Amino acid sequence: MLARRADNLGLAALAVAAVCLVALGAGWFDGPLNALVLLVLLVVLGGVGVLAAFGGPEARRLLAPYGLMKPGLLWMALFFLAPVWSLVRISLSTKESRFSVQYNFTWAWDNYSRAFSDFGGQFQRAFLYSLIATLLTIVIGYPVAYVIAFRGGRFKNLLLGLVVIPFFTSYLIRTIAWSTILADQGPIVSLLNTFGLVNVFEWLHIMENGKLLNTPAAVIGGLTYNFLPFMLLPIYVSLEKIDPNLVNAANDLYSTPTAAFRKVVFPLSIPGVFAGTLLTFIPAAGDFVNAQFLGNPNTTMIGNSIQDQFLKQNNYPVASAMSTVLMVSITALVLLYTRFFGTEELA
Amino acid sequence: MNKPTNSGARRNPWTRREFLLRSGALGVAGASLPALLAACGGGGGGANALLFDNWPLYIDPTEDGLVGSVDRFMEASGVDMTYTESYNDNDEYFAKIQPLLGAGKRIDPDLIAPTFWMAGRLINLGWVDKLPLDKVANTSNLEDNYVKPPWDPTGEYSMPWQAGTAGIAYNIDVTGRELKSTADLFDPAFKGKIGMLTEMRDTMGLILMSQGVDITSISSFDQAAGAFEQLEKAKADGQIRAFTGNDYIDDLVSGNYAACVGWSGDVLQLGKDSPNIRFVVPEEGGTLWADVMVMPKGTENTDAVAKWLDFVYDPEQAAQITSYVQYFSPVKGVREEVAKIDPELAENPLVFPDAETASRLKSWANLSEDVDAQFADAFSSITGA
Repeated sequence: MLARRADNLGLAALAVAAVCLVALGAGWFDGPLNALVLLVLLVVLGGVGVLAAFGGPEARRLLAPYGLMKPGLLWMALFFLAPVWSLVRISLSTKESRFSVQYNFTWAWDNYSRAFSDFGGQFQRAFLYSLIATLLTIVIGYPVAYVIAFRGGRFKNLLLGLVVIPFFTSYLIRTIAWSTILADQGPIVSLLNTFGLVNVFEWLHIMENGKLLNTPAAVIGGLTYNFLPFMLLPIYVSLEKIDPNLVNAANDLYSTPTAAFRKVVFPLSIPGVFAGTLLTFIPAAGDFVNAQFLGNPNTTMIGNSIQDQFLKQNNYPVASAMSTVLMVSITALVLLYTRFFGTEELA
Repeated sequence: MNKPTNSGARRNPWTRREFLLRSGALGVAGASLPALLAACGGGGGGANALLFDNWPLYIDPTEDGLVGSVDRFMEASGVDMTYTESYNDNDEYFAKIQPLLGAGKRIDPDLIAPTFWMAGRLINLGWVDKLPLDKVANTSNLEDNYVKPPWDPTGEYSMPWQAGTAGIAYNIDVTGRELKSTADLFDPAFKGKIGMLTEMRDTMGLILMSQGVDITSISSFDQAAGAFEQLEKAKADGQIRAFTGNDYIDDLVSGNYAACVGWSGDVLQLGKDSPNIRFVVPEEGGTLWADVMVMPKGTENTDAVAKWLDFVYDPEQAAQITSYVQYFSPVKGVREEVAKIDPELAENPLVFPDAETASRLKSWANLSEDVDAQFADAFSSITGA
């Protein structure tokens, strides 16, 4: 009976609908065939609908999980799988001619070798800068989250609000504002000059040639500033959940405050640190805004190169190859990281 | 029930019904926003409309009691003109219009003002239409050196908007001395305080001339290899702070740049308020360029385009634009008209070049498609991004 196989039918319908959406989104077919694909999609979805309506309670019960999965899965098919398909396809294509908008799929692996040979430096910088920025956000964000969670008292929400308030301004504006603050004749450099600290900062490689703006330190600083709340908030959430009685219990057992932190509080906050790391590192590695406004021509990150190849050089194949490499390497890093440091429950 | 007043409502200030109503209202607002934006976009549509997409700060605006060119034109001609300033960078704009024009579709603007070499590319690709020059009486006012120029050999597709020169702009408070040579840009004393333009022909033009290469006849990449090496080395050494488009002005004024490659009119416009910003055509030579008006393929409002061209090629009107933007005007008789408004400006060799200045200005040879690609690749690999 049809109704008894409803679960298999539901799964099959879901798969067919997803493939149809990828086909439509990624443009597998031209013209009239697309109409056919759309028809298949509607028939399949409609068929499941009819089955659910007239198949009786048992069929509905079996179909329900697939019905619930449908919005999310179909959304992902159209807006994630289809674009990724197109991206990978273009990354293996060649342009017909310099100004052509036609890309011919030719298994052109040299797009990838160009991505590595011409933009290796940008890849390295992207990962190095975002790694340093992520570590800095932990160093800066953890104590702040700790104070808000355990010592915030009735000011907790106010303090959290203060952390979030800068986000009411556009990301771009906040970054450009830093270029004014760090400018050669801006407040910070003047202050350092007054106290004669420029040499110390140059020795620390934070300043170059008496300037703070357009240096690697400015780019890393910008990344740290912009992603700090993404680290702080998850850490805060995991700290906030900790029962203070656990710390009291540790104290009762003659634990020093340091040991109580090391053995009780910190391990319980690891899920927050883990989530924060992902939320910070992944977008920071692909960021191009900070390097654009706070960096110099020797500090460009891979995001800048991808943007330049897509939007200025019109070199979609190489740009797609770089995007694919970035995506794959971030995924690999995250998987490794999860394998070694990951926890079952994310904050 | 609409206004929760008791303390219990604090926990749940919005009833479910209110929530639905309000989010519905938001949804309606959201849905009508694009419609509003589209209405503001204007242009297109009516036969008597005109949409001109030009570079920023490139025309006299209506301000300080003066009526800008666009408003004067609308008043005089009855054309409903929309003037936008989203042309920021030749390559970026090209990348934006390429998917449409390349696929045979039309773009919104009826008129755009690419730099001469980009206009040449668009003409070669067949992506622009012939201008309605037979309806423009004032074409006779076009300066002789722009008649049938190398980028538009038949002279049917383009009319110059403004011309100008790229030279060295510097902030004398930072340099502490007058600059006069392109070699000054490579002075180690200014390490990390030098800006270069992302416009390949202007940046490379200056360096090539300082190496004694003649850009008016350059035809192969080998002739430029030395100049690219010099730029690459300067970048690697940290001499160059940034490669920018129009936005170099801020860094120059704030003192982040000691000097940079800049465009004459920008710096002259600025000089009114900041006397410490100077501009010089390097002794080795500066580049001469023109931004030219072309009609993207499929433009329907050709009558309005003709009226506009006629308007801006009237020396009296062109003088208003020149006295604001302070670039070279391609219109005959502008100098006499400017002398009536601002006699001092009419004598400025950076707006109306004298023989000595003119002798140092050189314009680029037409590069063949392949050579142009080599130059563009080499340049983009240095500018890094």
